[in-house]
Amino acid sequence: MMIQVQDLQKVFQIHQARSGLSGAFRDLFNRNYKTVKAVDGLTFSVEEGEMFALIGENGAGKSTTIKMLTGILNPTAGEIRINGLVPYKEREKYVNSIGVVFGQRSQLWWDLSPMESFRLLRRVYQVDETEGVKWLDRLIEELDMQSFLNQPVRKLSLGQRMRCEIAASLIHKPKLLFLDEPTVGLDVLVKQKIREFLRNLNETEHTTVLLTTHDVSDIEALCKRVIVMDKGQLIFDGLLAELKERWGSDTEVTFHLKKRTTTDDVRQVLGDLPCEITQDNEITVKLKFKHEMLPYVLSTIMSAFEVSDVKVQETSTEEIVRNIYSTPSEVVSHA
Amino acid sequence: MGQVIRLFSDYLSQYFKTKLSYRANFFSELVSNLVFELMRLAFIGIVFQHVDKLKEWTLWEIVFIYGYFMIPYALFSVFFGFWDFNERYIIRGEMDRILTRPVNPLAQVCLESIAPDRIFSAITGFIIMIYAAFQLKLSIAWYDPFVFVLLIISSVMIYAGVYTAIAAVSFFSDSRTGIAPMIWNIQNYGQYPVDVYNNIIRFILTWILPFAFVGLYPSAFFLRKAEWYTYTMLTPVMGIVFFLIGLVVWNLGLKKYSGAGS
Repeated sequence: MMIQVQDLQKVFQIHQARSGLSGAFRDLFNRNYKTVKAVDGLTFSVEEGEMFALIGENGAGKSTTIKMLTGILNPTAGEIRINGLVPYKEREKYVNSIGVVFGQRSQLWWDLSPMESFRLLRRVYQVDETEGVKWLDRLIEELDMQSFLNQPVRKLSLGQRMRCEIAASLIHKPKLLFLDEPTVGLDVLVKQKIREFLRNLNETEHTTVLLTTHDVSDIEALCKRVIVMDKGQLIFDGLLAELKERWGSDTEVTFHLKKRTTTDDVRQVLGDLPCEITQDNEITVKLKFKHEMLPYVLSTIMSAFEVSDVKVQETSTEEIVRNIYSTPSEVVSHA
Repeated sequence: MGQVIRLFSDYLSQYFKTKLSYRANFFSELVSNLVFELMRLAFIGIVFQHVDKLKEWTLWEIVFIYGYFMIPYALFSVFFGFWDFNERYIIRGEMDRILTRPVNPLAQVCLESIAPDRIFSAITGFIIMIYAAFQLKLSIAWYDPFVFVLLIISSVMIYAGVYTAIAAVSFFSDSRTGIAPMIWNIQNYGQYPVDVYNNIIRFILTWILPFAFVGLYPSAFFLRKAEWYTYTMLTPVMGIVFFLIGLVVWNLGLKKYSGAGS
């Protein structure tokens, strides 16, 4: 077991400022604190070599969780065990085995070239020189960084910098990689390159990857497993497919027919199947129904009408995430 | 510890690589530092054109103290440059990155702010001190160089302790505080003999913010002012005590940071 998290909890005391000048004055002597449970009873475990995503709205407790997993914050209660170590207790030893990318912050030296930054990081992590250089060469090749390796980091584009950030976090070949919003603001090509790289890394090195993201396509491209957090609690832990099944909306199929057809004709063929039928124009009919009915609907329509084109629209994860968020959390956690 | 020293040489070479790529900047900084030091020295000269003595102190004695005073501060600033600690590490959140690396956090912050070119002002200080010593026709005993090194190290530790503690205050309050500049101003009182001030300031400069131990007290030994020897001998003790205080406050702050987050 790579990561084991048990009843993890983090409580913050947040100072509530009073309004106005007189309020500020009163704050000097008597401060109001509000207790906020940022993470509340989180339990999950991750196998070695898994790639999984932690998703949730802003303020759901993702960042706090990541900070506890990386040893930056101490939990208020609960246990974390990663690689057999307790992050906040054996911090210096523990961080040797992880790599962290905070998408919003840089870990490179602004005035140095990526190459110099990597060299310095190798020294920080006490990486063996020959091994390290060989590994770095591979990173450079796979992330396609050759062309800008010797420019100062401040002159790189966001996409170039992000690739360097990922390489920097892997310089010591960690077993576990944390990526906090790694693709924010990147264009599609760079995103693709990064995803491809991560997939390959996971396959060849069995690196465990934990990803937080707002970009649903990241999850679809990389992760089988998804953990969803809301208001500090875990509301879903399972496969992406299950997530889709549980919160996915109906499947939508569009048929282009050769002859004029009305919704009534279609209704007649399908009988009393629960299904929503709408008509775009006289030869285009749209059907919405539960996903498991798809084979039946397809075969029935195909045999009854002459069909020129079919378009099946699956619910995107994006939609699922929106569905989860729009459901009140009590209902969801009981589901 | 061994790793920190190795890293120091790595950061040092990176520092020079970066600095040398901005050549014009490098030299202009050097010159402006030199001018700044000379201005301060000129100020002492101006004072002594109007008076022969400050309390019991002659011009060259004060210049000697001033020369000494420059050395520990310069050496200290080579390793410690986190005046913007609050802004950079707390508000901008760089502390998180520090904590995800396998090196002592305080050592990392020091390494990231090293400024080896400040060593020049230590050299300037040394030259001023030696020149004043010749003017005063001071005798030099065989043990003086050793005592000198010991006292300089102690003074550096006092600076390190005081400013580390002050930087660590940022862990407790994430708003910008004006403490560091204020302390820096008080520190400059240390370059004059403390007995020219009133008792309260003297007490503060000896026991609270012990900046008399980075100027007068250690220098008094070489000026052979026997009435200050007790304080001279206290200098290493104060160095150790304040350095430890700095470390304790820093560690408390770090604990607070990990406990609360932002």
